[in-house]
Amino acid sequence: MDAFDNFLTGTITLFSDPIGILIFFGGVIGGMLFGAIPGVSMLTLAAILLPFTAHLSPEHGIMLFSVIYCTGVYGGAITAILFNIPGAPENAPTAFDGYPMTQKGQAGKAVGAAVMCSALGGSISCIIMMLATAPIADWAISAFGPPEIFALVFFGLAVASSVGAKTFWKGWLSILIGLMVAVVGLDPVGGIERYDFEMPYLLAGIHFIPTILGFFAVSEIFVQAEKKARGSYNAPKLSVDFPSLSELIAHKWAVFRSIVIGFFCGILPGIGATLAAFMGYNEAVRWSKNREEFGKGKLEGVISSETANNAATGAAMIPLLALGLPGGALTAMMVGVFQMHDMEPGPLVFLNSADLVWVVFAAMFFANVSILFVGFLETKTIINLLRIPFQFLAPMILLLATVGAYAVRGLTIDVIVMFLAGVVGFFLRRSGYSVAGIVLGLILGKIGEQTFAQAMQMLHFEWSGYFDRPIALGLLIAGILTLCASIYGAFFKKKHPTTQMTG
Amino acid sequence: MGKLRTGHLVEAGLWLGLCLFLYIYSFEFEKDIEIYKFGATAWPRAIILLMTIAALGQLFHHWKRGDEVSSEIIDAATHDDAEEAAHDAHHEDIKWYASTFGLLLIPFAYMRIPDWIVALLSAEGTTVHLIRIVCAAILIGIFIYYMRRNMVGAILTLPLFFAALLEDMGFYSLAPFFIIGVMFLFGEQRPKPMMAIMALIFGLLMLLFVKILFVGLPVGNIHPFYDIGSWVVTVLQ
Repeated sequence: MDAFDNFLTGTITLFSDPIGILIFFGGVIGGMLFGAIPGVSMLTLAAILLPFTAHLSPEHGIMLFSVIYCTGVYGGAITAILFNIPGAPENAPTAFDGYPMTQKGQAGKAVGAAVMCSALGGSISCIIMMLATAPIADWAISAFGPPEIFALVFFGLAVASSVGAKTFWKGWLSILIGLMVAVVGLDPVGGIERYDFEMPYLLAGIHFIPTILGFFAVSEIFVQAEKKARGSYNAPKLSVDFPSLSELIAHKWAVFRSIVIGFFCGILPGIGATLAAFMGYNEAVRWSKNREEFGKGKLEGVISSETANNAATGAAMIPLLALGLPGGALTAMMVGVFQMHDMEPGPLVFLNSADLVWVVFAAMFFANVSILFVGFLETKTIINLLRIPFQFLAPMILLLATVGAYAVRGLTIDVIVMFLAGVVGFFLRRSGYSVAGIVLGLILGKIGEQTFAQAMQMLHFEWSGYFDRPIALGLLIAGILTLCASIYGAFFKKKHPTTQMTG
Repeated sequence: MGKLRTGHLVEAGLWLGLCLFLYIYSFEFEKDIEIYKFGATAWPRAIILLMTIAALGQLFHHWKRGDEVSSEIIDAATHDDAEEAAHDAHHEDIKWYASTFGLLLIPFAYMRIPDWIVALLSAEGTTVHLIRIVCAAILIGIFIYYMRRNMVGAILTLPLFFAALLEDMGFYSLAPFFIIGVMFLFGEQRPKPMMAIMALIFGLLMLLFVKILFVGLPVGNIHPFYDIGSWVVTVLQ
């Protein structure tokens, strides 16, 4: 009952303040637009807005970012489906089936499913977040230390190696190259410079925003250029045929499964929506009777990925607000907003600024609900972007990506890194490697190394210490079994007869 | 040789060469950390070891099965038709790679050559600017001469070249030419639509980022590009 009263108070506070309403709707539309425009993402918008939040109250600043987070995760699905350019890593699995659906003329249905499932996953996640914040945060604090987080990162990477690349080995090489890129800069324990090649820029590591923009947005432009060169570029077919309610009901178990997966991935610090989307998708494939249909435009692929990533958004706020641990790039920026107002996210926020917490919770719930309405209206406008010939769209995407990469730190070298990542991504993609795997490795690499170092220090450098931690041990065993199964398949199993190049 | 092709051996050689380079370089930061007995090298060396194993596994896969898609891979893996596009465009031969990498050297040449000339001549002040403008003009000439022979290589090079010039010449002076360059390389050759779209894209970007969001974009370091950039910002803000 307390939670409901607090939610009601938060809602009244949010909607009785004209500036709050303006910021809320600005965040909803801005998040969706920046998520949906190819070449930029919600991170670009957040990076641009971050310095300006100093002029807002802490409630408004955090609320703006949390709303952008919810709607931006959905917005990224639009570009993933329509252009094969995921707005963020968490939308990468959406492209696996969303883009083939667009090529088959079912873009509207895929986008419609993304709208409904994002709203559903996000809203339910918010409700659970509001009802269960305290007990879940308590459980996560007590049950998930560095060994468990490292084990979960390992398990996540083991699962991700089987998605996106042409072979298991290329999947692993993609992830490992991402992990290697994450090594560049100062080591997390001793602050020793690694692979900096005596370049001051590299001391701070390679920033993930230019890298993501390069691997996804820029390399896609280059691939389209090559298609143009062979004279086979086809603009995707248009339709606005949203899925029926019965189609969604038919996928109720996929929705339920993805909400559970998304929520539990989201609640763990440093894991968040990316792994949620990959695991939601992978589980959909694993449980399906028609595995061979995935990757060729199956609605269930879009539903699973989009439900899971939005379900992670609500949960991701728990470690941020309860522990001060950001789960991803955007929540890390929220820490910046707190710091600009001389505040630290953590348990004290619940004590000192309960109003802030509940305004943010209410805003996130209504942002997810608004995806349903604004998403339907806005998506039709965005689908019309496909009518623009690609030779006119390409310079726009490249320049938006340039501004996005530059706006993060005001460094032209970030723009160079972005375009270099685009070139590398182009050559890797044409050789069957996975750019999504590289980005996942890059993001999870730092967390993986940090938690590994903390875990080993905690366990006094004794590997046997894992046997005393059942959750960590279970996750490690699950990761090793996944790896062994993949290696067995790579060496001994014949190619599945239904696995064909879809082109 | 099984189903191995020369390309597979080159690919394996590149990965193993990269692993060897990264391993040798790791000795540069092999220092003890008092509170962490694994030191700063354990994590990267573990990754290098796994990369070596994966590269050898990939070589074995190529030897056994050629370019076949793995059975354990979810079919979504093959949604990316970049490889097919490369094959259809006949962009797999050594000549195309050589020409592409030759073009890609142009932006890096701009990042280095003007500094070498400046150091050689001990140039200062406006002479430095002049050297950078002349170098840029020569490299743009080389780029235009070779771009018609390898359009895809030119599209890969143009954004990098744009990024390399950005610090000196600024976003405001370069962006209109960049927009036209990308449109041309994508096959648009009608001057009127190109000019109209260029004005539209540039105008929208200026309105959104400079006028509304006050994003500070690079104005350039060299006259007259710096003056042009500053003038645009002053007019819009």
